[in-house]
Amino acid sequence: MTLPRYLTAQKISLLVLVDLYCNSVLPSSATIPVLSFILSHSISPVSSNARPRSPGYGDASFSIEAFEHVLQNHASSMPGRTLLDVFLKHMWEMNSFDALHQLFDNIGDLLLKTREDGGQEFTPEEFQDRVLLSKTSPLGVFVRRARLEFTRLQFDDTMKLWSTFIAYRAPTAQWTKRLAGLASSGADIVAADMGLRPGEALYEVAYGHLAQEMEDGIEISIDDFDRLLEFQLEKLQRLGCRVPDDMRTQLGSMLGSSGVILRQSHLVKFFDAWKAGDYTSAFDNLHRYYDYAMQTREKIHYQYALLHMAILQADFGCFGEAIAAINETIATARENQDMTCLNFSLSWLNHMSKAYPKQMKGVGYMGMLGSERDGLTFLKAKAKEAKMYNLLSATLLNEAKLCLGTGDSISRAFEYMYQGSHLNIKENINNQGSQMLLLSTLYSRLGITHLSSVHNELLLHCYERGCPIDERIRASCRCALTATRYGRYDEGLHLLEMIDVSTHRSLRFHQYLFLCTTLIKLRRSICRTDWAACESYLSSLIPDSSTDPEISFALSEAHIEYLIARGYYTEAFDAIEKLSVSLKEESGDILQRVLMLLAKAELFGKVGKPERGFSIALRAASVSFKARLMPCLWSAAGLLASILNSIGEFEAATRLLHAVIPQSLENTDYVLTGTLYSHIGDSYIGLAGLDDASTSHGARLRAMNMSQAEMYIDRARECFKRTESIDGECEQLMKKAVIAKLRGDEKLAEEWAQNHERVWNEGKERILIREESK
Amino acid sequence: MSTLSAADEAHLKAQLQDAVTSCTERCLFHSAKWAAELLNSLPTADDDDGSDTDVDSPMSEAHLPQTPANHIHKDAIELRLEAREVNKFLLAKTYFDSREFDRCAAVFLPSSLPKGSNNPITSPAAKSKHAEKGKAKAGTASKAKDAIDSVRGLSQKSLFLALYARYIAGEKRMNEDSEMILGPQDGGVTLNKELPGVSAILEEWFSGLPTSGRQPQGWLEYLYGIVLAKGKNEKLAMDYFVRSVQQYSYNWGAWSEMSNLLGTVEELNQLIPRLPQNLMRFIFVVSANQDLYQSTEQVHTSLTQILNFFPNSAFLKTQRALLHYHTKDFDEAEQIFSDLLKTDPHRIDSLDNYSNILYVMGMRAKLAFVAQLATTTDKFRPETCCVVGNYYSLKSEHEKAVMYFRRALTLDRNFLSAWTLMGHEFVEMKNTHAAIESYRRAVDVNRKDYRAWYGLGQTYEVLEMHSYALFYHQRAAALRPYDPKLWMAVGQCFGKVNKVNNGIRAYKRALVAGSYYDAGVGSSFGSGEMSGLGGGILDPDVLYQIALLYERLQDMPESAAYMELVLAQEEGPDFEDGEVGGGLGVTPTTSKARLWLARWEYMRGMYQRAMELANELCQDGVEVEDAKALVRDIRARIEREKGEART
Repeated sequence: MTLPRYLTAQKISLLVLVDLYCNSVLPSSATIPVLSFILSHSISPVSSNARPRSPGYGDASFSIEAFEHVLQNHASSMPGRTLLDVFLKHMWEMNSFDALHQLFDNIGDLLLKTREDGGQEFTPEEFQDRVLLSKTSPLGVFVRRARLEFTRLQFDDTMKLWSTFIAYRAPTAQWTKRLAGLASSGADIVAADMGLRPGEALYEVAYGHLAQEMEDGIEISIDDFDRLLEFQLEKLQRLGCRVPDDMRTQLGSMLGSSGVILRQSHLVKFFDAWKAGDYTSAFDNLHRYYDYAMQTREKIHYQYALLHMAILQADFGCFGEAIAAINETIATARENQDMTCLNFSLSWLNHMSKAYPKQMKGVGYMGMLGSERDGLTFLKAKAKEAKMYNLLSATLLNEAKLCLGTGDSISRAFEYMYQGSHLNIKENINNQGSQMLLLSTLYSRLGITHLSSVHNELLLHCYERGCPIDERIRASCRCALTATRYGRYDEGLHLLEMIDVSTHRSLRFHQYLFLCTTLIKLRRSICRTDWAACESYLSSLIPDSSTDPEISFALSEAHIEYLIARGYYTEAFDAIEKLSVSLKEESGDILQRVLMLLAKAELFGKVGKPERGFSIALRAASVSFKARLMPCLWSAAGLLASILNSIGEFEAATRLLHAVIPQSLENTDYVLTGTLYSHIGDSYIGLAGLDDASTSHGARLRAMNMSQAEMYIDRARECFKRTESIDGECEQLMKKAVIAKLRGDEKLAEEWAQNHERVWNEGKERILIREESK
Repeated sequence: MSTLSAADEAHLKAQLQDAVTSCTERCLFHSAKWAAELLNSLPTADDDDGSDTDVDSPMSEAHLPQTPANHIHKDAIELRLEAREVNKFLLAKTYFDSREFDRCAAVFLPSSLPKGSNNPITSPAAKSKHAEKGKAKAGTASKAKDAIDSVRGLSQKSLFLALYARYIAGEKRMNEDSEMILGPQDGGVTLNKELPGVSAILEEWFSGLPTSGRQPQGWLEYLYGIVLAKGKNEKLAMDYFVRSVQQYSYNWGAWSEMSNLLGTVEELNQLIPRLPQNLMRFIFVVSANQDLYQSTEQVHTSLTQILNFFPNSAFLKTQRALLHYHTKDFDEAEQIFSDLLKTDPHRIDSLDNYSNILYVMGMRAKLAFVAQLATTTDKFRPETCCVVGNYYSLKSEHEKAVMYFRRALTLDRNFLSAWTLMGHEFVEMKNTHAAIESYRRAVDVNRKDYRAWYGLGQTYEVLEMHSYALFYHQRAAALRPYDPKLWMAVGQCFGKVNKVNNGIRAYKRALVAGSYYDAGVGSSFGSGEMSGLGGGILDPDVLYQIALLYERLQDMPESAAYMELVLAQEEGPDFEDGEVGGGLGVTPTTSKARLWLARWEYMRGMYQRAMELANELCQDGVEVEDAKALVRDIRARIEREKGEART
């Protein structure tokens, strides 16, 4: 059975309803429900970014019961009859094949005649008792389309339509008593007039197939099917998800039974295979789709095919092929003067060279648009010229990103972001996801963690429907990582687990999530000094399978952290050196480079030669101050303070730390804050050491400093405890014990020492339990 | 002869059974179908009586002649030949059934046939084949050298099948060469290129027949008749058809070809004595009369008689319905067709005629239903396409209608009614040239189609080529002498070409014809404005036209008399006592006549009468302005005359 092109029984019923509406037998209270019902089924809805679609909206194969729900609660202008009665009466008055033709002949009268049609203008009186549809109104368009499609139908297709309509209408025969008389004559008045009953030979010839067809179930027109696929495509393309399994079987059965192969279905298959990580079939389906597209349309699709192929190749890591394909895309787009495609390709290329500098350089990409900044300026100009606001918005974001990456002025970055945001709102561009993500990054760099997480949550709560899945996952991961910094590892992991399983179905996202989860677990293990766990996590992480630069940096960082914590200082130093060299080569993000500086300085501190890290820490501090990388600045200050401590400049260290700690508190990074507190505790101890205990004033000062130190050490201990960092906590406990001993309070010292022992053992036990539970 | 005797019936059954097998063997599927239908339309009750449990019943004889029936026709020579060729024949038959006509022909015929002349080229293959035949035939045939002689060694059955396959192959190729309907290649002049070859062989065969000692079977005569008819050698073709039916009566194809060749009733009447005296002749006469639009009482009675023998025959019932259709008795015809549809829902034959009837009756819903039925059964039958086309035509969707008629013609180029109907559609679409071509093709297919002639005439009238149109209208009127519309058209054309007297005669003929159909003079196909004239009422339009023509002859009194007659039709004839419903009332025509009369009276100075008439006009509310002006003039004249009288 082939699918009808556009018209289905549902659409005919809608036309009957339109007819009813236009002939003004509707009470005014029913107007809005009826109209919205008709519109929701006749016009494809405008996609909204923020709001989810209401259920059942645009469902093409709705059953006749849908009419019942809408109509039965409204009284018609005839007393004692509901609108449903009137509607069904109209439905059953179509009692012959000819009546169906009649409907389509008459429905044209509902349209407003214009002078060009040669028809006479309607007099005002005629307006009063009926609604006339303008040709361009939604209903008018629907009516016109239906008429056009009906005219295009071949006779036997019309017959099929008629029989599906009979089957569709059949359940209503018994709904009301009034109808029973009308419906008793059967589906076809001609057959009834000839005295035919079901079972007779002639009747069986005409309508014998009905019974069988009614079992076939849903019917849907090619047009509806197209819309269905279009919707799937939009989801696939915009959100980057996969077709859900049940939907896929349903689509498959529809396609299989109909015998028509729609070109779109290949595209859907292509995207699905792509997202599923099935490279070969994705490739195959892409080719198939464009082969069929070629058949019907011009060569203009070639560049889009190439573009898709380039993206596909890059996605699967074949950068060489991707570059070749995108180069040809650009050439073809230039040749065909397709500015949209050209600009998009350039932008994509730009993005790729930014995101995967190493790989792109590796395959010999030298950059098409000169320096990055030039490239962006060029793209911006082009986008403005061609009024491609989407591209413009994306380019502005890229510029903001560039500003951040090179450590340029923050205010300029903000300016770009706001320009982009303005564009998004004005031109209704669905770019909010990346906007939010970038804002959140920006705030986290500024050390305003609160705003950063607010933006992440904003993205998750408000734009979840319209955002690519990629961005949603990124936002969730950021939230989780932020939670980790508070020490709320479990919450972070929980957040990641909360992500809908259906999104895992794409290989890339699955990997991304896996990496994030392992990263969090690794961090926790490092803090807990659970080395066995660390090693196992690292072994699954280190052959860096991620193509995402952000994550791969975080991994290296965690690795270095691990090496330092474990005391493998040489390896740690090598790793730091290697990473910073490669960052320098790629002219990487300033934040990452500063982080490397900090790591190096910290390493020197760990090996007991903090003075050697002085210049490094100082440089890190100055760079991060310039680029407003506040958290980096604070930890640099902390490092500086520890260096000062080590050279005995306790006073300066205290002043430095006092300046930094309040800001760091705001940032709520407990690891950082704990470190800072521990440093300030050290400084106070140092200060106490400087005090002359012989004088009463000195003794008082010393006692004061000691208690200050104890307070800060306690606070540090609190912080470390929160982050489950056993090393940090034990260190503080040890300090407390030492202080107590210095005071001469042996008992207290003993107590602290026992405390230390207990915490240490608890930590070890936890590891043991974990290992046993494995 | 109201019923058949049992023996006769048994004989008839045997004959028909034989006809079905013989026709099937020769791949004459339509004839076979026809015979089988007829066979099954015999009353069935008798068959039940003659069940084989009751051996002694006289009916059991009915089964006896089934197998040996062949002996009636088959002489020994043919049987022997057929027995020898049976394997090859089966092969040829299967090739034919799988539509491989050339291959089928090649089984028996040498691969190269003489083209048109007696100059046969013998291929080695043919020689060897012939050698075989020669041996097979032993002494009866000398070792002939050419292909035609080799053919002589075949049984008639095989020869027929081979030549028929050849002919069909030629027809197929001809259709393929013609390409699109009404396209540049489709001029109706493409010839069947196999005809000369087939014709040459048959000619040779028949010339050698008297000396060969073979008994003709009728089949080859039938084929030769077809070939001759295609070559427009109609007299000879008719001779051969007659010979064919004399040899073998139960080949309906031969009869229907014969009927196609008939142009007039006179020809039919001349033909009848030459035909064999049997049942088939009866059926033929009825159907031929129907084809010639002769629906006299006599035809009806003979049809009734035949229907007594074959009470269930759909074919005969269709004939009856068509007869009613010709006399414009649409209700009756519709009823018959409707019943037919119920008894045999899958039957599509002559549904196109049914759709014409429904069209004229304006029964859209039913027409749609019939179209639906036909389409469900088979959407690629020319009849189906015609029904659908008619439906669209009724809905004034002429483009779609043309599309379906075209489809019908693509399926069968000789499908008459599709050509005519397509012509009508083209007229509606103001595409006169295409219309003329369609009608012309219809006429070429069947010269008896008066609707096509009439359509041609009308189209030429549209093109203002009246003397041309006159010719066609005359042809149409000749085919249906009792259709007033056709005569009116003739009269009108005469008027246009200034042959006023002839015009008047034609119109008067129309009047006579109009009163002939007392059952109700309706429209013919295509226009429905003048229906329901009661008996005794003359068509005011015709009268008015006659009056106008007399006016052109300056014969004013006669003209005025006819105008009065027009007015008289308003009241209806006085001599009948009102039962007819008293005339037509005021129509535009009568009003025009009244205005004319009023003016005429005014010119004659009969002011009083003129005044009356003008006032009547004002009352009727037709042509009021003119009438009022006239009234003013009359008043003025009367006033002046009074004044003159006073002074």
